[in-house]
Amino acid sequence: MALMPIERGKIREYAAATAAARPAYLDDPQAPVPPTFLATVVFWTPIGETLRSPEVLRACAEAGVAPDLGRLLSLEQEYVFHGPPPHAGETLRTAERLGDITVKRTRDGRAMVVIRFTVAFSDERGDPRAECNYTSAYVQRPAGAGERP
Amino acid sequence: MTGLVPGARLPERTFGPVTLTDIVRYQGASGDLNPIHHDDEFARAAGFPAAISVGMLGAGWLAAYCTEHLGEAAVRRFRTRFSLVVYRGDRLTASAEVVRLFEQDREPRVELAVRLRKDDGSVVIDGTAEFAVP
Repeated sequence: MALMPIERGKIREYAAATAAARPAYLDDPQAPVPPTFLATVVFWTPIGETLRSPEVLRACAEAGVAPDLGRLLSLEQEYVFHGPPPHAGETLRTAERLGDITVKRTRDGRAMVVIRFTVAFSDERGDPRAECNYTSAYVQRPAGAGERP
Repeated sequence: MTGLVPGARLPERTFGPVTLTDIVRYQGASGDLNPIHHDDEFARAAGFPAAISVGMLGAGWLAAYCTEHLGEAAVRRFRTRFSLVVYRGDRLTASAEVVRLFEQDREPRVELAVRLRKDDGSVVIDGTAEFAVP
């Protein structure tokens, strides 16, 4: 749980970094966040704590996969907004929860522990504003160079 | 934009060729400083021939492409699935096709199938975007 102020300068920086340098993002003091902007929550709180939870570590041990954060693959990210996206000047409250854990195989037969978790964002009134649903995987080290996850 | 009917396509937009500058600028902006995206030696130790781009940079480009056409404040859902890694020098093309028009929370919306592909046609990211429409 952490507070995340939505800052105009950060939106400007993020928009520039994603080739989204348009007036709505650059010039409006109450600029909306770009669709994937809430990924910057990591400046306010470490996310992925659920990736080190006992359930995940147990699944990795059983599958023979090292839960090495440096080798974590991001398979999917989904941002859901309840109405217009948050805008500069707001402060959001965040909370992370673990979804489910499944063990799969890569195309070349390596074990892969797939974890789904959610970071939820609510506003000062306590209303839900957005969720980011992450699907990430710890994958067994490849024998050679791996092109695909 | 006009003509949001199922099957309609947005004009395509090209990004890149991806440079290390693109990658580190996104990493700085996003706070994801995983060295696998800018340190070739680190990436080789992990089994890749060179540092790989950030999946979320591609997602961010796709998001910029969609908001340019449908409005910055109109996004309601944006889902991206990463299917192929990207290396420096790859050029990426964004495309989108209208899947359906529907109503949710008493708001008319459009759903788009979005895609980012390399010049050889291989798909780097596919996903779904939903935007409120007037």
